[in-house]
Amino acid sequence: MIVAVPHQATDQATDQSADQSTDPAPPRTARLHRPLTVAEAVEILADGDAEILAGGTDLVPALRARQREPRRLVALRRVLELRSRGASANMLIIGAGVTYHDLTGWSLSPGLAAMARVVGSPQIRNTGTVGGALGTANPRGDLLTFLSAVGTEIVINSARGARTVDVASFLATGLAPTELVTAVRLPRPCGPQVYLKIGSRQAASAALVSCALVVDRVHERVTCAIGGIAHQPTRPAAAEEFVRQGVDWSTGTIPADVVAGFGELVAEAAGAVPDPLPDDVGVSAAYRRHAAGVLAARAVGRCLPAAAPGAIPGSAGPGSAGPGSAGRFRS
Amino acid sequence: MADSRSSGDQEFTDHAAAGQGIGRSVPRPDGADKIDGTFPYAGDLFLPGMLHARTLRSPHPRARIRRIDTAAARRLPGVAAVVTAGDVPGRATYGLIVADQPVFARDVVRYQGEPVAAVAARDARAAVRALAAIDVDYEPLPAVTDPERIVSVGGEVDPLHPDGNIFREIHLRHGDPAARGTVQVSDSYVVGMQDQAFLGCEAALVVPTADGGIDMRVATQWLHSDREQIAACLGIPEDRVRLTLAGVGGAFGGREDITLQIHGALLARVTGQPLRIRYDRVESFLGHPHRHPARLWFRHTASRRGQLVSVHARVVLDGGAYASSSPAVLANAVTHASGPYRVPHTVVDGWVVRTNNPPCGAMRGFGVPQVAFGHEAQMDRLADALGMDPVELRRRNVLEPGDVLPTGQLVADPLPLREAIATVAARPLPAPVSDRTPVTSLPGGRLAAADPGRVRRGVGYALAYKNLLFSEGFDDFSTARVRLELGPDGTPRAVVHSACAEVGQGFVTIAGQIVRTELGVDQVLLAPADTAIGSAGPTSASRQTWMSGGAVRAAAVTVAERLLGRAAGRLGLPPEVVAEPRRLLALADGEIVASEAGTRLPLADLLADGPVEAVEVFRHRRTQPLGPDGQGDVHVAFAVAAHRAVVDVDVDLGLVRVVSMALAQDVGMVLNPMALRGQAEGGTAQGLGLALMEELVVDGGVVRNPTFHDYVLPTIADVPALDFVALTHAQPGAPYGVKGVGEAATCSATPAVVAAVRAAIGRDLRRVPIRPQDLVLPPGQAHPADLVRPDAGGGG
Repeated sequence: MIVAVPHQATDQATDQSADQSTDPAPPRTARLHRPLTVAEAVEILADGDAEILAGGTDLVPALRARQREPRRLVALRRVLELRSRGASANMLIIGAGVTYHDLTGWSLSPGLAAMARVVGSPQIRNTGTVGGALGTANPRGDLLTFLSAVGTEIVINSARGARTVDVASFLATGLAPTELVTAVRLPRPCGPQVYLKIGSRQAASAALVSCALVVDRVHERVTCAIGGIAHQPTRPAAAEEFVRQGVDWSTGTIPADVVAGFGELVAEAAGAVPDPLPDDVGVSAAYRRHAAGVLAARAVGRCLPAAAPGAIPGSAGPGSAGPGSAGRFRS
Repeated sequence: MADSRSSGDQEFTDHAAAGQGIGRSVPRPDGADKIDGTFPYAGDLFLPGMLHARTLRSPHPRARIRRIDTAAARRLPGVAAVVTAGDVPGRATYGLIVADQPVFARDVVRYQGEPVAAVAARDARAAVRALAAIDVDYEPLPAVTDPERIVSVGGEVDPLHPDGNIFREIHLRHGDPAARGTVQVSDSYVVGMQDQAFLGCEAALVVPTADGGIDMRVATQWLHSDREQIAACLGIPEDRVRLTLAGVGGAFGGREDITLQIHGALLARVTGQPLRIRYDRVESFLGHPHRHPARLWFRHTASRRGQLVSVHARVVLDGGAYASSSPAVLANAVTHASGPYRVPHTVVDGWVVRTNNPPCGAMRGFGVPQVAFGHEAQMDRLADALGMDPVELRRRNVLEPGDVLPTGQLVADPLPLREAIATVAARPLPAPVSDRTPVTSLPGGRLAAADPGRVRRGVGYALAYKNLLFSEGFDDFSTARVRLELGPDGTPRAVVHSACAEVGQGFVTIAGQIVRTELGVDQVLLAPADTAIGSAGPTSASRQTWMSGGAVRAAAVTVAERLLGRAAGRLGLPPEVVAEPRRLLALADGEIVASEAGTRLPLADLLADGPVEAVEVFRHRRTQPLGPDGQGDVHVAFAVAAHRAVVDVDVDLGLVRVVSMALAQDVGMVLNPMALRGQAEGGTAQGLGLALMEELVVDGGVVRNPTFHDYVLPTIADVPALDFVALTHAQPGAPYGVKGVGEAATCSATPAVVAAVRAAIGRDLRRVPIRPQDLVLPPGQAHPADLVRPDAGGGG
């Protein structure tokens, strides 16, 4: 049972049932806070003893199954500043309360829109949020994989102020219980972007393996993230550098052997991750490594048209990219 | 009992009897409520002040129980009772065929999820806390999870249970075991564990009664079997255990066995208070038996012209920890192992064994889907070896009336196998993949990973037959009562009473259609299914329309007879006419018509003297037990299904999309076209699920995916619209010539999809469900060591 309290509520006496004083189990009711601003939300979170409720796609099943029994819940739906999205000259800014559905038709970011369209079921897309995906940080999450490819800053607020981290640092260090993800900032697209995903059925499926690929025609770069291989999205640096060198940036075309070589290098990178995910119930780890290469080659092929045969610039297949030559793309 | 709605009769009204009779697409009486969410399922039932019961389950697939300490749990506030094996007053075990399963494990647990204790508390939270406070001291033992090992060492080494490790073995011999054709194909096949995955989890509401018994509303497939087992374990007479069917959210065989019934009844008696016991999804997956995983080996031989000469098969089913219906499932698997083909020489060796895996029992198809996957894969490979079209090979070998089955049983009734395979082969094919095909219509669907240039199409065929009703000499019957009376408004109405469990198959619809057809009344009420009347048998084996439909029809016919007799008396006709009134009188359009005199008597006038009632018991023809060498007239009848599947496969990613499914099924006669289509579509979808995605993965006896996140069911995006053709040949001995239609399509859908994938990629597939890695990785990597040894021994 959830007891709603006004948004300005501070800790008041709770209406726990009589046996709670002798009972080691958590209280039977959670207090529901409904702040109207980020400032109010982080104030409530300041003692580190509340769960955040956004779309509820992860939290509500966990509450129902009694896997989590929080004393307090902070519901974010009324925090309108979290639900906006916008663009500056170079950047897109997306509030943590923006849903997948909000993103599916967003013309400013076709890649993000394509990613959002293949998340879960319509019900999940209608309610699941950007902040929720980051808060849960499922290693195979569609959004996390996409954000890893584009180079994203995550804006985090707490009562002590705001900080900004990149996706990798965010995944490495996580979120303190007093903190709230308020937005993500990513560069405006400067070229084609795709998100390809393998699920366990034709729709309404979590990603078993996925590939986000982003072409930056301005800075002449290709960045790629693979989901479903390791405990966080995998960035195949050598493969990215290989394809950067292989693309004819004057025409934006790519030779067939570069496409194939890219796929091989991605599969290789997938095989070299230090913390591979084990075999799952549906697909083996060996299959996921194989599929990563196939998806990556298809992704780059969809983004860049094939070069006419014979018009291949100085590229000689995998191996031509020097080790460690690809710096990580940052926005 | 209170619930969110009145639990009253379901009513069929406002329709002219003629338009709502047999042969019409009459809608389900509960259809609208099921769609708008107001239908009360068992889990929705409640009583004010009821207790909440939960079950404590073993986390180990095999362990010795050194000690169970419930004292701390009993002391918790809000806990009303904790029960364990020592609290079971009657028989300590239960089971559908043999009572080998403990109500609660006492000294040893034999599978992960086996019940060890149950609690009742004032709310669900307190019940969960009580479970956590029960201290069970387990000594884990090495789990025996390889059924092949049980077969190879013989069942009596290291018995997992006092009854031994082999539930049943059958060695069928027909013809000359040494006979061989000139062309031979042999291979091994594996079938994973499918779950019934019904959507409405197990639930019951139990109320203790003053006579020391219980009233229970429960979602089940067989009220009387539940009652018998509950009464035996409680140690009270059956008449003190009164069961009423609650709303059932699907069953597919998964509710044939007892799950929570005895636990709930015991707790209600111990506490003296009403309670609800209900499973969540994980508990449902762990709590009911599944489809048997199978390891199969076949050797088919044929003449150069494509006539089957011999089939040798070896069938090993993993029954899991307890017997459930394993012995009967094995009989089906063995007797159907060579498929619906004329095979002069057949040798089948079958075992169903006990392991520390989850118990397996009944599921749609009941042993036939497993062997159908194997025999149909073999037929395709034989066609390849002969250089023959797979449809033509099947046409040449199908059984026909007058042929003899591998059991020695004569095929006596219509069996339209050739018509079925020819029908699906002639259906129009879907358009091929082209540049204009949207990427979302390629393998992978809306996830859009497919490359149209790397997609290959395949077409596959499968033919199967499935026995109907209970086999092996079981005395199977169903009871129904029909009463014709005047309703409160003075118009005639019929009331039907049967214990038939409506689990979605449509008995509630068909019963009304039958009574309207036989008695010509508009209004038919269906009384709640309960144990106040005799057994209707289980809703399984494709039997309820035939058996309970037969009982309802017989009762209605008797009512009509008695009514006409009453009319003859009223009209002053001679005694010989009163005794045989149909000679002169007929019931038509709600009136009694005396054809010669032209006299008409309205029903309402006749019923003013009081209602007319009849109870009838319907039996099918007797069969024989399976004799030595697997011979005997064991099956009542068969239904035939043929599928043609068309698939697209992404050959780099191993992703499959089923583009079209055509089904020709032998249905006897059509009683309700809409309900028939529902069964055909559902059966097809469940078979497709086994082919491509549905598997309960068990690793070392531990279930790894007991949720709908990881146990993947097909959605509407995975199942194409079904191109369905009903083949109608009246079945002798069945009401209106009907055949049961729930199972046959499940048996042929799986092998048809597999055949289509095989045709698309040119690789033999030896395992279902097919996993993406099976299609793209080298075979050694794709198939771990889960295949049986080719030409493995075992008496073959």
